[in-house]
Amino acid sequence: MTRRWLQEMLYLGLLLIMALVAGWFLGHVDRWLFIAIAIYLAWHIFNLYRLERWLGHNRGLNIPRTIGIWDDIFNNCYQLRKRERERKWRLVQLLREIRDSTAAMPDGMVILDRVGEIRWLNEAAGRLLHLRVPQDVGQRLANLMRHPDFVPYLNSNRYDEPISLVSPFSRGLYLNLGIVPYGSDQRLLLVRDTTRLHRLEAMRSEFVANASHELRSPLTVMRGYLDAMREDGRLRQMWGKPLDEMHHQTARMTAIVGDLLELSRLETELRQAPYAPIDVAKLVRGIRDEALSLGQGPASILLKVDSDLFLLGAEHEIYSAFSNLVFNAMKYTPVEGSVTVTWARESEGACFMVADTGIGIPATHIPRLTERFYRVDKSRHRDSGGTGLGLAIVKHVLQHHGAILAIDSEPGHGSRFSCRFPQERVSRTADHVGTA
Amino acid sequence: MDKLNLTHHISQKFNEELESIRNRVLAMGGLVEQQIADALRALTEGDSELGRSIEQQDYKVNQMEVAIDEECSRILARRQPAASDLRLILAIIKTITDLERIGDEAEKIGRLAARLAGAERPNDRYVALQHLGSHVQGMVHDALDAFARMDAEAAVQVAREDARVDDEYEALSRQSITFMMEDPHSIRQVLDVMWSARALERIGDHATNICEYVVYLVQGKDVRHAGFEAMEREVNERP
Repeated sequence: MTRRWLQEMLYLGLLLIMALVAGWFLGHVDRWLFIAIAIYLAWHIFNLYRLERWLGHNRGLNIPRTIGIWDDIFNNCYQLRKRERERKWRLVQLLREIRDSTAAMPDGMVILDRVGEIRWLNEAAGRLLHLRVPQDVGQRLANLMRHPDFVPYLNSNRYDEPISLVSPFSRGLYLNLGIVPYGSDQRLLLVRDTTRLHRLEAMRSEFVANASHELRSPLTVMRGYLDAMREDGRLRQMWGKPLDEMHHQTARMTAIVGDLLELSRLETELRQAPYAPIDVAKLVRGIRDEALSLGQGPASILLKVDSDLFLLGAEHEIYSAFSNLVFNAMKYTPVEGSVTVTWARESEGACFMVADTGIGIPATHIPRLTERFYRVDKSRHRDSGGTGLGLAIVKHVLQHHGAILAIDSEPGHGSRFSCRFPQERVSRTADHVGTA
Repeated sequence: MDKLNLTHHISQKFNEELESIRNRVLAMGGLVEQQIADALRALTEGDSELGRSIEQQDYKVNQMEVAIDEECSRILARRQPAASDLRLILAIIKTITDLERIGDEAEKIGRLAARLAGAERPNDRYVALQHLGSHVQGMVHDALDAFARMDAEAAVQVAREDARVDDEYEALSRQSITFMMEDPHSIRQVLDVMWSARALERIGDHATNICEYVVYLVQGKDVRHAGFEAMEREVNERP
């Protein structure tokens, strides 16, 4: 670059010398100097004009060729423009590839901004969520995807778990939606079509249910004969104890089959439980009577139940869950101990609690208690009966009602099982007397 | 498609207020859509618990109507909107009334479903009802989508469906009368089925109303009570 400038200086110098020489021979040096400088200036102005035309009005790559420093400048401009074009072309190619790959993705992706407006979505999202590209860009997603489970999820800002729901416009289409926050206040919504998964789950559950149903009939037959045999005096003399044990085990099998059926039904039910009013006080009294007739545990159960407080949910599910908790308490509490059932309002919602002074549960077992067939002490439970599925049922029922199970226990002192229901599942008698 | 320009306000806050109230109306719409879906499910599956739970949920719909109404009054008093903003608020006030009525009709269906759950359920009685039900469900969904997208043409399409819904309802009524004549013991149940069909037909009417508000909102033309042909004409000859 410096070379060019030196060259330019040289040209200028030569021009001036020529002017001086001309002036020396022909007189009027200043006039000749003036002409030389004028020529030099005109040369630059001309090239400036060409540069301006090319930059401003010519989008092409062909630039004028010239001599001296202007050639350098023109060349540099050309290079600049050429590089810019190449960069743009590369970016367009990259964008095209990204667009093609997102169009091919089976999962839907929607980019949402801070207020929940759609910034971008791919084809799969349009298909799964019934959105139109590009018209719906800029719309708030909650305006078009109005499902009452989705809108609070979107606004909650708690996205650790995705939610599953049935598509509001295509029945039979099951969707799983998860949100991933990123950047500064942006959110990425991922939509998966889980219809096939759901169908597989349903098939599995149906299989369990069918198998259980099939097992019921043979069990009923056996129970029938066993009952008859136990009545018979002669048989009782010789085979009394074995008959009793067979009766006990058959009863256990029947209970397990019943629980399996219940559990498989609960697992496939995606939707939350309905909001039918349940008289909890009455329910609990029924459970207490049944629990006392079991023949295990303390002779009486203390009830601290708010009879004015109703639960909104599915009655038979709640009956299952609550009775499981109470029967468990009775099973693991000695006759001298006590079992207390509480149903009361809390600051937000209500709590159903079963507290006992039984054998307690070591802390290491507590996280796994609600697993199916999980046993804390394997040897003991075979004697005391129980299906091993009770707490799994409780867990699913509570999930259906938006409730949480909390377990507190001290080995040797007792345990406390609490079910916390949200505000919307709770009501006072007065609220719905009119709609009965 | 005429799109309302909500971005020209000097006050960004006003913009947000309008957008937020639109959101709330659509959230209410979503809840009402769910109520309709639950009511239909309770009816066809004979789920009395679900039927009773719809009654419980209706109070939420009513609460939302009152809250949105209050917010609209506040906006009218404080911001004194004009032109398209004023049309938006007026359309919203009318829409929430229709949505709340749809909620009431769904609650009625829920109650009837709870009653019908115990009775006999011959298949042919419910097929026509199911069909009418999904038709009406589609209308409500499309009407709300048209509101969300401010799409007058889509609104006209939905309004066109109402005539078909009315025809289906007529056919169902005739069929019900035949059932009642054939088997007088079934009169109580068939009447309940007819009331459910009537409730569905009313839901269709309310959905059509919402479409009329959408047209008013987007184009400033009042097409209520003018009949469907007039509505279509008005929308197609745009200024």
